[in-house]
Amino acid sequence: MNTYTALYPILTIVTGALLIILLEVFLKKEKKDYLGFIAVLFLLASGAECIKFWNKGLSYFEGTLLLDKFALFFFLILILAVIFITLISLKYLSLQNADHGEYYSLLLFALSGMMIMVSSRDFLVIFLGLEVLSMASYALAGLKKNDERSSEAAIKYFLLGSFASAFLVFGIALLYGAVFSTDISTIMNFFHSETSLSLMALTGMAFIIIGFGFKIAVVPFHMWTPDVYQGSPTPVTAFFSVGPKAAGFAVLMRIFFPFWKEAINSETFFHILWILSVLTMVVGNLVALRQKNVKRILAYSSIAHAGYILIAILAGDNSGLLFYLTVYLFMNIGAFSAVIALSRKGKEFLELEDYSGIGFRYPWIGATLTVFLFSLAGFPPTGGFLAKFYIFSAAVHKGLVPLVIIGVLASLISVFYYLRIIIYMYMREPTRNVEIFAYNPALFLVLFLCLYGVLMMGIFPGNILIYIKQAVAALVF
Amino acid sequence: MNIPILSILIFLPLTGAILFIFIPREKSNLLKYLAVAVTVLTFLVALPLYFNFDGSTADPQFVETAEWIGYGINYHVGIDGISLLLVILTVFLFPIAIISSWTSIKDKIKEYLIFMLILETGIIGVFLSLNLFLFYVFWEAMLIPMYFLIGIWGGKRKIYATVKFVLFTMFGSLLMLVAIFFLYSTYYKASGVYSLNIFDFQKLILDPGVQIWLFLAFALAFAIKVPLFPFHTWLPDAHVQAPTAGSVILAAVLLKMGAYGFLRFALPLFPDAVQKFLPLLAVLCLISIIYGALMALIQKDIKSLVAYSSVSHMGLIMLAVFSLNFEAMEGAIYQMLNHGLSTGALFLCVGILYQRSHTRLIKDYGGVSKQMPVFSAFFLVCMLSSVGLPGLNGFVGEVLCIFGIFKSSHILAALGVLTIILGAAYLLWMYQRVMQGPITNDKIKSFPDLNKREIGFLIPIIIMMFWMGIYPRPFLRKMDASVTHLLHQIKSRTSVSASIQKEEKELKIKIKEDKTEELKEKTNLLLK
Repeated sequence: MNTYTALYPILTIVTGALLIILLEVFLKKEKKDYLGFIAVLFLLASGAECIKFWNKGLSYFEGTLLLDKFALFFFLILILAVIFITLISLKYLSLQNADHGEYYSLLLFALSGMMIMVSSRDFLVIFLGLEVLSMASYALAGLKKNDERSSEAAIKYFLLGSFASAFLVFGIALLYGAVFSTDISTIMNFFHSETSLSLMALTGMAFIIIGFGFKIAVVPFHMWTPDVYQGSPTPVTAFFSVGPKAAGFAVLMRIFFPFWKEAINSETFFHILWILSVLTMVVGNLVALRQKNVKRILAYSSIAHAGYILIAILAGDNSGLLFYLTVYLFMNIGAFSAVIALSRKGKEFLELEDYSGIGFRYPWIGATLTVFLFSLAGFPPTGGFLAKFYIFSAAVHKGLVPLVIIGVLASLISVFYYLRIIIYMYMREPTRNVEIFAYNPALFLVLFLCLYGVLMMGIFPGNILIYIKQAVAALVF
Repeated sequence: MNIPILSILIFLPLTGAILFIFIPREKSNLLKYLAVAVTVLTFLVALPLYFNFDGSTADPQFVETAEWIGYGINYHVGIDGISLLLVILTVFLFPIAIISSWTSIKDKIKEYLIFMLILETGIIGVFLSLNLFLFYVFWEAMLIPMYFLIGIWGGKRKIYATVKFVLFTMFGSLLMLVAIFFLYSTYYKASGVYSLNIFDFQKLILDPGVQIWLFLAFALAFAIKVPLFPFHTWLPDAHVQAPTAGSVILAAVLLKMGAYGFLRFALPLFPDAVQKFLPLLAVLCLISIIYGALMALIQKDIKSLVAYSSVSHMGLIMLAVFSLNFEAMEGAIYQMLNHGLSTGALFLCVGILYQRSHTRLIKDYGGVSKQMPVFSAFFLVCMLSSVGLPGLNGFVGEVLCIFGIFKSSHILAALGVLTIILGAAYLLWMYQRVMQGPITNDKIKSFPDLNKREIGFLIPIIIMMFWMGIYPRPFLRKMDASVTHLLHQIKSRTSVSASIQKEEKELKIKIKEDKTEELKEKTNLLLK
């Protein structure tokens, strides 16, 4: 079989992106929606490619492109995320005066960047993917050209993102200086075998953690998150909170998966990640308490969730991590979709005060948002509970009891602010006239699918777990 | 006999709730009748459980198991002598609670009924689960409907009350979750098999040092739920703010879940730690008894008076549980049922008064019995049942409790009796101020007496009060075997781990002796 077939999933996405840019010129403004449908078509095609490759599990170009089940699993959930994002954007863009056709192609480019990131074992290629993702993200954040906040988001993201990239490149360079390789498995073997590491190697690894810590918004590298999340158009925020985070964690898993077991030098990094995890959970949740803007609340909540996921990395619980990311995708995109549903021409309802009485005025949106919030807070019988259950129980099994206690207490704090949104929705009398644009079938489809996903993964997670187990099994080098 | 009767029992109300989503909210009467039908049906489903239950064995009966998620997470339900009566109490009170809110809940009746039905599923699930995962799922999921019931249909400070309720309960249960993880992992390390089955965990022999932490985590979760002093502060708020039916369910069933948790998990799983903490727990119970009663004495609001009386009564129940002997244990379980009935009934009576006057302050009432003679009779019986008048249910339970406590400690029993004495004081005084004397408030003169619906939902409770007071035997005999088994388990496992410890100590002493002998020999040799 021709080696280049391995590129098909990524190539399909890139082709779609380029085609959309071309078509955008010829389409009338009213028909920009078609571009979204074309994007969905290409996404589905790429997804089909991934499924075709599922049982082949091959590596191409000397390990720089791996199509193992692990990568394919991430391909699939990322593609699913982008399909959801595309669908919830359709009406949003024209309602909020941001209907640029490039939007869909930027999304696809960002996706291709993430796909490159998760499917490689070579730091340079990973960096390449990260940059493709970042460039597209900066443009996406600034999509509302006339909105100050959106521009602010774009510039902030760009500046801090460049910093993070610089750290990452520098880290890669330092590691190369120490190990003479950019291949993750070679580097990690080096870390396993050396008894005393040079300062160069240690610094290099630390810089790489910083670079990815930025992408997955780990405290203290999270400063950009709230502003960027608040300023970006809401579907883009939903995308940021799920896509780059999943891709970043995929890379961290590739780095750290074989590391904890017997590595001599794992102690240092273990402690660093331990502290990062605690900081992320505690700071993210505490700051979220004081927010009044729903998008900001969700931004801080997504920071906190990165903290929980770091616990999974520390516990070496890869299947738990994948499960968490999958559930997180459904519940977070679901929550953002409900937020998007509460908007009308030129106006989004994002203040907590706007949510007063929404639950009874728009019962379906209110009920679904409630389910997503309960899932984010980790209440059974939703997927969010089971995800936390897996991660925390694996961590206890590894003897990380103090970390888990901090984790559950942090999630207790989170209950407070998730419940606050529900309090506004159901337990307060409406104070503002919240008139929404209600005809949005694509968005309601996404809401329904996310609801289905969150509940299914909470009650019958069996099927998805089978695939996750296979994906994780492929991670062995 | 292959009907999955327990599963039907658990999921029937939930099915009803899902069905309700599709009924338009305008048909409020249909919704109400349907809700009553569903809960009555659930009650009828539970009845054969009671009659077919074999009281001579301690093993769980009507057991159903099914593969679920794997890794020890299985669907595993069953019923034994302890959970049987609590389940019956639950399904008995739910139709009453729903009928009692017939007219008091006016808006959003559809959502109200949906949450009530989900709540019923959650509570039954808690009592029937034999798998810790399943148990935890129900335990936590049950918070959600209660949260909405207090938060949407509650009083003026409903939001404060409901958030406090959820956060308090979650604080305890999250730490319990960590302890569950620990057990899960320990069992896996010991046996190589994943399991969350309660009976498997009961076979584990844990190091007493570890037990202390695990017991503390479990006990905290349950002590908050009971609630024991000093974790009780959520209770008065939640009770006062909740709608009548919410208070009824909260007092009658939800508090019992805490006590049930002690009986089912905390005591049999960590017997050594129990022995260590018994004095502390007994003191907490005593404080709850006295503090609750004294607080009840000075309350101005009838509802919070009843709420604090719950703290006091639950203190006695827990004191009996911690006495760890047969009479006390049976008394405690029996008293749980009694407390459910009588406090539930008291909340219903307060609700009836509140609906007529929209005030719960004692000083706004006076001489109500002249205006509402039928009601005053019902209220009197409920009140006396809570006080523990012989012939009514409360007496049997309290006497058994006190007997049991007396067996293990005379002082505790002497102090425990204060529940009854002080209980009589605050309840009779309240009754006197509200019902008797001259009519002080003109509004009272317009109070209608009980209507048929109100008499209808109070009568079953009154009948049960007399029945359980006069002929408690059938109820007690159902739980004999289970209680004996539970006590045996606690005692025998303590002795097992104690004997292991003893052996270890003896070994150490032996080694020491051996060493000293060796030393002596050596020194002797050297001297020679």
